[in-house]
Amino acid sequence: MTLAELSVTIALLGVLGLVAGRFGLSAIPAYLLAGIILGPNEPKFLSLVQPSEVTAFVAEVGLIFLLFFLGLEFSVERLVRSGRHVGLGGALDLLVNAGLGALVGVAAFGFSFAAIVLAACIYVSSSAIAVKALIDFRRLADDETDLVLAILLFEDIAIAAVLGFVATGGGGLGETARVSATALLFVFASLAASRWLGPAIGRLLSRLELEFFLLAVFGFVVGMSALAKQLDLSDAVGALMAGIVLSDSGVREEIEQRFFALRDVFGALFFFAFALTIDVAKIGEVGWIVLLAVIVTFVGKTGVGFLAGGLGRLTARQSLNAGAALVAHGEFTVILAQLAAGNLALTVSQRGDIAAFAGLYVLATATLGVVFMKESKVLGRRLFSVRVVD
Amino acid sequence: MTFDLKQTRLPGVGVKYGFTTASGSRVTVIQHNDGDRDVYVHRRASDDDPAVVLELADDEARQLGALLGGAYERPRIVEELEMALGELSIEWTPVPETSPWIGRTLADCAFRVRAGVTVIAILRDPEPVSGAQPDDVIKQGDTLVVVGKAGQVRDFRRLLTAGPDESA
Repeated sequence: MTLAELSVTIALLGVLGLVAGRFGLSAIPAYLLAGIILGPNEPKFLSLVQPSEVTAFVAEVGLIFLLFFLGLEFSVERLVRSGRHVGLGGALDLLVNAGLGALVGVAAFGFSFAAIVLAACIYVSSSAIAVKALIDFRRLADDETDLVLAILLFEDIAIAAVLGFVATGGGGLGETARVSATALLFVFASLAASRWLGPAIGRLLSRLELEFFLLAVFGFVVGMSALAKQLDLSDAVGALMAGIVLSDSGVREEIEQRFFALRDVFGALFFFAFALTIDVAKIGEVGWIVLLAVIVTFVGKTGVGFLAGGLGRLTARQSLNAGAALVAHGEFTVILAQLAAGNLALTVSQRGDIAAFAGLYVLATATLGVVFMKESKVLGRRLFSVRVVD
Repeated sequence: MTFDLKQTRLPGVGVKYGFTTASGSRVTVIQHNDGDRDVYVHRRASDDDPAVVLELADDEARQLGALLGGAYERPRIVEELEMALGELSIEWTPVPETSPWIGRTLADCAFRVRAGVTVIAILRDPEPVSGAQPDDVIKQGDTLVVVGKAGQVRDFRRLLTAGPDESA
């Protein structure tokens, strides 16, 4: 990737991101679209950027930052505090949508590891898109928003567990079990470190000058990722755990402020670099899977909105709003597909299919989902008669 | 009057506080994790969409809170007290930053002689002075609580800003 290519890339990311923003959409589908346009596969009229070691490296750094920030938000203490509310809606969502996702996965790949990856891709909604839309559409005060956020939190936790084996699991039963056990050990060691070493690390970091503070944090994150990779886990798990270790350290806010910009730039490049590998010509092969998955998502997520909403005594209209907020898929689906793309236990064609699927599926749900969410209140008023409570 | 202040945790966003006013409006305050605050007002509790959404940065939210809490005006209870005082009034008077009186004792200032008002308390952080004594020193950022007739208090405000020479 030359500097000229990079400048075209950044310009296109900026323009498409802005356009998406004008329509009230998330920037994630815009970045994916930029990658598909500039990438070597169909459409070919503007194939400027070849996937290379450079783009792979940028994608890796972007992935690390995205998960590092997720980890920072993920304090053990907060988790315990909100645990009670998170359970029921989240469990229903897991049951329904991972179940439906698994059906799609089996239909696409038969009983295989690839089916599990696909199920996870379809199960996990986008926290980033949903939260942004809830703020943009001014829904933070609504009762159903509590439910939506609780479900998203549950999904984040569930998917953190999946990240552990999606990159390296699936070889054989013994191998997968070994990887899962290592992942579990690594997670517990990190949680323990967060609990007992976090404050000490925080004190140490806060004493450093700014320049060295930045370097130390960056080094820690990359180091944890490298360590996780050495242990046959994915760098994603390492970065996530690095975030968790620092989440209770007292310097979390400073880290977030200092690294927001880096995360946003590399995050955008991550989605872009991932999309370079998407071959739109594969729509012939994966088109039906995408279509099926989109339908399943609309039905499954809206269904969970009604199931959990009913249990939580929400009105039908509120339940519809809750379900609509969960339709958009984004960062996690792409991250899972990216990790799976490096997993040698999957066949080359499976990896290509999963990447193409994830890209198209995210494009579809991230746009349709947000539109559905925006209109859900109007739709609700039409569908369910207004009961006047005064 | 009592009302229910409902508090809910919004994972990944912050904390939400809400209550319904006597006139039936629903007020919700979102405290974001990053310190920003949103105020949502639904004109009626059953409204789908908020009539007003106010997005406030931390300092703006504090300013608004202080305004609503009555920090800049005499609290209601004082107004009631004033009725009992007849033509006397109690005034909260912040000391201007440039006031020439800063650093001098109350005895030295002799406000009672100059303007006819009595300083009864000094509000300051961290500890307010409740029964102000002649040897208490006026400091930067103080708010003086004074008793006097309406006209006297007006003179006193001018005196506090200008200093002893320019005021009549």
